[in-house]
Amino acid sequence: MQRRQITLEDGRYLIFYTFEEAAASASPDTDGDDAAGAAESNGGHAEPDAEPQATEEKRV
Amino acid sequence: MGEWVATATHRQTRTFLPPADFCPLCPTKPGGFPTEIPEPIYDIVAFENRFPSLQPAPPAPAVEATQLYPVRPGLGVCEVLVYTPHHDSTLAREPVEQIHKLIRVWTDRFRALSEHEFVEYVFIFENKGEAIGVTLHHPHGQIYAYPFIPPRVARELEQSRAHKDETNRCLLCDILAGEQKDGRRVVAANDSFVAYVPFFARYPYEVHIASARHLQALTDMNGAEQRDLAAILKTILVAYDKLFDLSFPYMMVLHQRPTDGGDYDHYHFHIEFYPPLRTATKLKYLAGSESGAGMFINDTLAEEKAAELRAHVQPVAWQTPRAGEPGEPGKSGKSGESGEPSESGEPGGKGGGR
Repeated sequence: MQRRQITLEDGRYLIFYTFEEAAASASPDTDGDDAAGAAESNGGHAEPDAEPQATEEKRV
Repeated sequence: MGEWVATATHRQTRTFLPPADFCPLCPTKPGGFPTEIPEPIYDIVAFENRFPSLQPAPPAPAVEATQLYPVRPGLGVCEVLVYTPHHDSTLAREPVEQIHKLIRVWTDRFRALSEHEFVEYVFIFENKGEAIGVTLHHPHGQIYAYPFIPPRVARELEQSRAHKDETNRCLLCDILAGEQKDGRRVVAANDSFVAYVPFFARYPYEVHIASARHLQALTDMNGAEQRDLAAILKTILVAYDKLFDLSFPYMMVLHQRPTDGGDYDHYHFHIEFYPPLRTATKLKYLAGSESGAGMFINDTLAEEKAAELRAHVQPVAWQTPRAGEPGEPGKSGKSGESGEPSESGEPGGKGGGR
């Protein structure tokens, strides 16, 4: 999951969330599904999703 | 009366049922009118509500407090979550993968909003359908981050605490065990969640979805649970739409632990649906008893309504199977697979209190 935050003209924030599922399923540290896989070797208690990758920019 | 009411007079001018060409939640089109969302490429968008009931930097109250009437600034955060760029969709019509994405966004927003010092409760919800009073049709939900624990959740917390003190067990864990054993009110279940019409349903087609594991919040879930939650949400949403062959209106609310730093181990994560329809054409109104006394009158039996919904439960087909598994249509949406629920609800017309 990727998160990109912008600031609107009136000062409010807006966050775009995008997902690259194919990449996620190949990257065991970035997605909940992979956390599920980790659970199988961890007594069924996987770690929740990793923190999203975040960027921030100003919109003018 | 011991409860806060937000006055937000600027909301009177908010956008009301605009034509599809002027939907403020659609992505801005090249050369088109500027919407709330200035770019077209995204899966889900979260933004601060243009017409918030609560704000991180609220103005001073418009009236002065008195000893009888305390007032305080409308501190908090109100966010809008746009589920998809597609205006004509609904959460029910979205693929289960999109619901899975939404759950991960919910989790991220819960985590982020709970970090505000002033936020004591993060409330995620969706109002769907004109029968509920929605002003925009584009599929979306909302989040209110309150500076206090709202009264309905506070009541649940009290009851959960009382049950824990009395039995040393979780109230909802006990309810789930009872529902699964009985089966008549169960609508669907998978490895991680159970969906059921509660014994104490206030709306005819009220459904609760509770985690099988004793969790307090979205942030406690593992990846498998996130997927299973997406699957059972899809199952219930589709069953709702098929029930009367229409896009079913509802309020959907997530009940999680407060974020004020307290100990809420006795609480149990769940989602509640309150649909306003009691038939295809008739609404359940919140009339005198419900609004004035707080006591709901339900004209139906939970067992019968659960059986109606169960008849519309269908397998959920993932396009993206879990790593190491083949496609698993039918994995979720099973109707009480371990111990098929009985179809024999009690006959109608009975009264009583629950």
